[in-house]
Amino acid sequence: MVKRQVPRVNHTAHRLRTAAPALALVLVAVLGLGFQLQLPRAFPSETDYLGVAEVLARSRAPGDVVLLHPWWTERARLFLPAETPVVGYLGDTADDLVAHPRIWVLANERLPRTPDADFRRHFLPDRTALGEPRHFGPLTLTAYRNGRARTVVLSAVDAFDRLEVSVEGSGPSPLPCRRAGERVLCPFDASVEVAWHEVLYQPVRCLFLIPPSGGRTLSIRLQDAPAADALLLEAGVTWEHAWLAGRADVQLRLDSPAGALHLRIPGAHEGFARGESPPSPPGPWTLRVQTSNPQDRQICVRLRGLGTPP
Amino acid sequence: MSRAPTPTDRRIALGIGLLTFGVLWATERPVGFVRDESVYFAAAEQFSRWWALLLHRPAMALSDAVITQAFDFNHEHPMLMKSLFGWSYALFHEMLGWVRPAAGFRLPAFAVAALIPALLHAWGSVLWGRRAGLFAALCFFVVPRHFFHAHLACFDMPVASMWLLVVYLFWRAQQDLRIAPWTGLAFGLALATKHNAFFLPLVLTPFGVLAAWRVASEEGRRVMARMGQAAGAFVAYVALLLAVKGRVGLVQSWQLLSPQTFGVVALVVALAAQAVRLRRRDPAAFVQLAPLVAMGLIGPLVFYAHWPYLWYHPVDRLAWYFDFHATHVHYAWTYFGEVLRAPPFPLAYVFVVTALTLPVSLLLPMGVGLLRTGARNLGDMVPALGRRFGRSGETEWLLGVNALFSMLLISHPDVPHFGGVKHWLPSMPFLALLAGREFDRAAAGLSSALALSPRRAIGASLALGAVALLPALTLTVHVHPYGTSAYGELAGGIPGAASLGLQRQYWSNNVTGVLPWIDANAQQGARLWLHEVNGLSFRDYQRNDMLRRDVTPAGGPEDADLAAVQYHQEFREQEVLVWQAFGTWVPATGLYLDETPQVVLYRRSTR
Repeated sequence: MVKRQVPRVNHTAHRLRTAAPALALVLVAVLGLGFQLQLPRAFPSETDYLGVAEVLARSRAPGDVVLLHPWWTERARLFLPAETPVVGYLGDTADDLVAHPRIWVLANERLPRTPDADFRRHFLPDRTALGEPRHFGPLTLTAYRNGRARTVVLSAVDAFDRLEVSVEGSGPSPLPCRRAGERVLCPFDASVEVAWHEVLYQPVRCLFLIPPSGGRTLSIRLQDAPAADALLLEAGVTWEHAWLAGRADVQLRLDSPAGALHLRIPGAHEGFARGESPPSPPGPWTLRVQTSNPQDRQICVRLRGLGTPP
Repeated sequence: MSRAPTPTDRRIALGIGLLTFGVLWATERPVGFVRDESVYFAAAEQFSRWWALLLHRPAMALSDAVITQAFDFNHEHPMLMKSLFGWSYALFHEMLGWVRPAAGFRLPAFAVAALIPALLHAWGSVLWGRRAGLFAALCFFVVPRHFFHAHLACFDMPVASMWLLVVYLFWRAQQDLRIAPWTGLAFGLALATKHNAFFLPLVLTPFGVLAAWRVASEEGRRVMARMGQAAGAFVAYVALLLAVKGRVGLVQSWQLLSPQTFGVVALVVALAAQAVRLRRRDPAAFVQLAPLVAMGLIGPLVFYAHWPYLWYHPVDRLAWYFDFHATHVHYAWTYFGEVLRAPPFPLAYVFVVTALTLPVSLLLPMGVGLLRTGARNLGDMVPALGRRFGRSGETEWLLGVNALFSMLLISHPDVPHFGGVKHWLPSMPFLALLAGREFDRAAAGLSSALALSPRRAIGASLALGAVALLPALTLTVHVHPYGTSAYGELAGGIPGAASLGLQRQYWSNNVTGVLPWIDANAQQGARLWLHEVNGLSFRDYQRNDMLRRDVTPAGGPEDADLAAVQYHQEFREQEVLVWQAFGTWVPATGLYLDETPQVVLYRRSTR
């Protein structure tokens, strides 16, 4: 009995070994084909997106924002209500979204390699789900209370019309700038406007500054700012100018009733530099910006007075 | 064993080549124009006019001034393919009117690309049998990115073809002296295609020299030693100049009448004289060296003769050509969420991108084939490995080295890394060849395990081949004509690659995805900004009836009615500027491949 079984086992093992490369090839091919045939199930239809849009339009509240997960699923923009901001950029899970008390996360976790670990690590802390997710095909829509949100008592972008802009450092008194359309034009090629720009992939509507040449200082003053629990100053060099090597630092100084806040954007630094002041009584805010490479240091600045959490 | 394919396999190779040509032609219409391609279209058109002038007023055409005027445009690349593009365009579009302009330019590219599967079958069938040859041929072309690049009137796929042709002929010539001159001619054509070919002597010289040394008599070895001394002396001289003058100084001092030029001439004369001597004293050794000799003598002549731009100023223009490519600019490239802009680049980049862009059912046989060849090559030196995996021999060394060379070259951290897989395409046919061997082993094992009759074994092989090729074919059909966006299953397909933070696409051809919408929806005379699409491509879309002719190009979003933005990580600012100019962040439409934004189109609501 044993004598008859051993050769048969060896023979089977030999046949399996001989056929192993073909079996491996078939297995891998079937897995590959299976992946490709399954993949379309992860793609939402227009109806799915329109369902999401309807819910968002119906439930809209001031300060709402939609966060895309994964960050690149921007096809949603075609369908979502134009009034609700949609956030989707590389690194957006770490965005505090300070001005938004409620975040709608539009997720598609059926997509391959969805960065869930990044989402859990960076987005979820301080955020609380407000109810169960709603499903629209492969999409899920979940509202979160944003524990990092603060009331914005004043934003320099919103107060652009009231800003007094001048250039300092070219004489005993500052040189005033003039308004031309939607921009403020200054001596020494400096300017200020409110515009959309990108800072390390993040689209931001900000005060877009080109500092004056010759190492002079651009001064932006808001005379009658209200009291705030904190002043949040964020500044970053826009687009490809940020990473250029060998460029000078940008020095920013915010003077307010809370005192002085210094911020530095180092040369070749990408992304925002941030600083927060202590509570500030009502009074003037003055932001001074200076660099020796103004044409390569085009700066996006967000200056906001923050109140209590909403 | 004869290295020539059988008549049947020659016919099969021809059939595969013709089929490839036909498939490429049949599928070219939706393929957009990558940035460089429209430049090559324009250059080819300009050069074809010079050839017409040469026929009608040769004295004028051959003057230095006219040659400079005609060939100065795009002189960073040699002329062979551009000449073929131009002639084909003039004949098939302008004279005969058989094809649209783009197809007129692209037909020669299809023909040259079709050489690859034909050669792979011819070579593979001799090495491992018809089954291996067929699989190698097919598996190269069903890779989505290969299929895409084969459509373009550019130089990346042609130089992969030429590289394969030279190595194949070199291999054949080591057995058949009559093929040596053809090797030299093919090398000249390769040089005339793209600068990658200048590395071919570096790859092939060790094989020719070692093979010759092995069979050489004592007299033959003495002659070869003298050849080595002459070459060594020249290399030492150039190295000394490089050390003393530096790279720029060497380039600037290399004039027509200079010691360096004299050194080159002296080297060629010395090597040729010694080669003649070797042929007389030791014919067997000469056969092994003959393809290298032919490459050395015929290749540079073909290169010089084919490029009128070099005729009056060979040295300084050649120096500029080498300098341009040695100091090529680095374009931004996204890799795992990081935008690579300057060296040093990640060492594993080439291998990682290859693994992530190949369909897994082809990656497996290619990878295993390369590993087996590596192990067998090492087996030649390490007896234990030799006993386990077998020993390889010269041919397998030749395949292994060529499969790795271009990949290793681009892996150098200082070499520009933009352009996806196209810069190391010359490696890929060799990987396909090794995949053919692995497929043959798998199919043979299956037939043996199932104890199939010969007829049934053919059926099993065909079924196995179909199963292995099907995922790649499915992906290629799915992603066409957006081949630069294709990612394999390891990456998680196109959406997986987006989540991994890999490059979404490159060089603007995907804009074809929104052109039909523009044609249907743009107002008469609308101003259109096609981001990253150069003016020549804009013109080409219009003259190939892919974009309405009343639409006019805009210089940026601020003066446009419509703006189509290419999704590149380094260009995010461009899309945001459209939001600013148009006052909206809501696109009108877009090309979303498997959900990933590729091209996003915005419409200005009021003007």
